[in-house]
Amino acid sequence: MRGFDISSIVNLNGTAHYVHWHFFLMSVPNLVVIVLMLIVFAVALFLRAPGAKRPGGKK
Amino acid sequence: MSSWTVRVREFGLRNLPPERLLPDSQPAYMASAIYLFGALTIGALVTIIASGTILALKGPAWWHVQSIGHFFNSIHLWSVELFFFFMVIHLWGKFWMAAWRGGRARVWMTGAVAFVIAIPTAFTGYVSQQNFDSQWIATQGKDGMNSLGVGSFFNVLNVGQMYSYHIFLFPVLVIGIVSLHILLVRRHGIVPPIPLADSVADAAAK
Repeated sequence: MRGFDISSIVNLNGTAHYVHWHFFLMSVPNLVVIVLMLIVFAVALFLRAPGAKRPGGKK
Repeated sequence: MSSWTVRVREFGLRNLPPERLLPDSQPAYMASAIYLFGALTIGALVTIIASGTILALKGPAWWHVQSIGHFFNSIHLWSVELFFFFMVIHLWGKFWMAAWRGGRARVWMTGAVAFVIAIPTAFTGYVSQQNFDSQWIATQGKDGMNSLGVGSFFNVLNVGQMYSYHIFLFPVLVIGIVSLHILLVRRHGIVPPIPLADSVADAAAK
């Protein structure tokens, strides 16, 4: 491995991890991305868009 | 009778006058960050096209043998990941806004078709990587394609066919449908919030 390579934050050569509960089966990376999307979606609903005016007319 | 060029120009000006095509302000109700995700998706798509163009110009071995090639390959991969990430949040936001209201059915439908076309675009890219990951995806996908009855003309084990689809056919379709989607958004305007009075009246009626 060359000195300037940045290794991944998790071991990609190991056994894949899955969450399995009854009918639900999903890999941990996919689950992490979906949870992250839900968090970003919820935050975006309440976050003010850059440059948007407040109801009073002020930025 | 006027020529077709005049008719096309008049059609364009009637449906998309310059002030609507390139407005100088956005509606006041666009105050939430959820309205940014369409533009973020377009930003990711531009990065995908730019990095993909460089990869295509350098050929399908470059990203395996050169560090700079690997760098652009990674830019291409992660901009695709972000494209889908932003597009799904954009879809959720527009679904809960009922963004097909007010004569915007075609805006909604072109967005849905863009999402559907983006999936095989990404898939043909994953099977064009020329590594063990692409071999695994192709051999798994082969059974899926055969079960659909399309394996004879969409052969995921044919790297040349998948690469051609990925760098020409699907990008043309994606860029075309996304362009149409954006023009329809400009024509109809950003969907306004669902009126609160209607919601209250509906709830009271139940």
